[in-house]
Amino acid sequence: MLNRDQIELIHREIDGTNTPEGHAAFRSLMVADPEARALEADLREVTRLFHQAGEREPPPHLKQAILDALPVPARAAPRTETGWLTPPAMVRWFVSQLRLVTARTEEAIMNKRTMIYGGVAVAITIVLAGIVTGFPPLGGGAGTIGGVEQASRYKGRSMTQADVTLANPEIAVLFQNPEILRLVRSDVFRKTMQNSAFRELQASAAYREVMTSAAYREMAASEAYRELLASETYRELLASEAYRELLASEAYRELLASEAFRQLEAQGAARDVRSAEAMRELQASEAFRELQANAAYRELLASEAFRELQANAAYREVLASEAFRELQASAAFRELEANAAYRELQASEAFRELQASDAFRELQTAEAFRALSRSEALSNQFMREAMRVAP
Amino acid sequence: MEETLAAGDEQDRALVRRYLAGQRDAASGLVDRYQKRLFNVALRMLGNEQDAEDVTQTVFLNAFLKLRTYDPRYRFFSWVYRMTVNESLNTLKRRKHTVTLEDESAIPAPATAPDRTAEARDRVGKALMGLKPDDRAVVVLKHFVSFSYEEIADVLEIPVKTVKSRLFTARERLRITLRERAE
Repeated sequence: MLNRDQIELIHREIDGTNTPEGHAAFRSLMVADPEARALEADLREVTRLFHQAGEREPPPHLKQAILDALPVPARAAPRTETGWLTPPAMVRWFVSQLRLVTARTEEAIMNKRTMIYGGVAVAITIVLAGIVTGFPPLGGGAGTIGGVEQASRYKGRSMTQADVTLANPEIAVLFQNPEILRLVRSDVFRKTMQNSAFRELQASAAYREVMTSAAYREMAASEAYRELLASETYRELLASEAYRELLASEAYRELLASEAFRQLEAQGAARDVRSAEAMRELQASEAFRELQANAAYRELLASEAFRELQANAAYREVLASEAFRELQASAAFRELEANAAYRELQASEAFRELQASDAFRELQTAEAFRALSRSEALSNQFMREAMRVAP
Repeated sequence: MEETLAAGDEQDRALVRRYLAGQRDAASGLVDRYQKRLFNVALRMLGNEQDAEDVTQTVFLNAFLKLRTYDPRYRFFSWVYRMTVNESLNTLKRRKHTVTLEDESAIPAPATAPDRTAEARDRVGKALMGLKPDDRAVVVLKHFVSFSYEEIADVLEIPVKTVKSRLFTARERLRITLRERAE
């Protein structure tokens, strides 16, 4: 009976990794032990079979399917020696961009399977876009107001109108920031504060949980996330009529609520975009078919802003980040997604405008603000106080 | 051999740089270099051509999505092989059914393959599917990609000792399975 060391000696010989001493020991063993010889012969037969089985050629359409699915790489605009584009160079660059898009579209149309997959991927990307933009970022060196540390201060007690005065240091510090002050006095801010969906969201436990989660803080503090929010393309896309219509569509909501979509989210949509069974279920769902027939959805897919967003490195980085995946997989996140107030707000123009504002994102980091914004009376008091401050 | 690997690494890095600079043909170059190898790893891991195709697509998609964060100090091939093995293991976990040794659909050989090759593929494919997925990964990387113990350890992020242990155990099992089926 061969012992473990002898068996390993034979395996190493098969792999060609024995030392000269090991090789000598192997030779001696072969001479002395017929069982060892039988094992060696069997193992060589196994490796011979592996060798004989060889490699298979991948399906001929595989390469094209892979290339069709790839994001368009971000292209640098051409530069002249002086660093400035001449008008003809600019025109040539734009034409090259258009050609790229056209070629990709044609390729996709040629391949039905890719079209289906591409459609699903696009649908998910749109949904993720909504998700990413849904939250103003927290802390992470965002400003002087701070956020998480202050959260506990208002957790244990209710705020009263007496708290919302300039005498309150938390409120006073908000108004010391001229951008915040300007924002608070704006019409768009007033509209949002008067929106009951906004107050509901501020009171939502899921919203709080997401806002204070480590994953969200990590994502919000990332350079990619900030870059994304500041991107003109992204804002343009979110401000588009097609995007708003899509958010309001029944098919889109059904898709979000479907079990298959939730499974995809839990697994990380980007990672499993092609292989998950959930993806297949999604494709077969009525909601997805309806979405594909939705005019707003199609318009969005065809929009330049959407294509540019797909090529946006920051956007891709955010979607691929562990923090984002972790967030997607969290129960709080899913609860928030199902929150009617949250969806209503996403469709509101005032809220979208606010989201694009750095001052609003900073304001949101203040727990005092979140606490007062849950009540209409306190919100009004807050705005009255803002008016008292000298510009 | 080392020189070849180094040259291959440099070629990968050059393609990655070109892709990140916006040159789409670089993606084509990377796909050309790796699609066959990754497809074969996935095929041996999963025993199903359609799933292997899906995994290969997923791996490339993820690789290109993450290229911006890819650290060029590490070998590109280790990175994509790791993703392929992990994606294959995830696919296996998600599968509702299990492929058994008796599953005739396991890695069907194309009709055009020579008889002996087809027979070898059939036998090897079925025997591989009888291994535990973690052990199968080691065997596939060793015998179908010709990686060293160290390279396998790097790809699977496990100690070299574990690689040897899994490989020897798996081959022992394969030896017995193949002999039983031959009798």
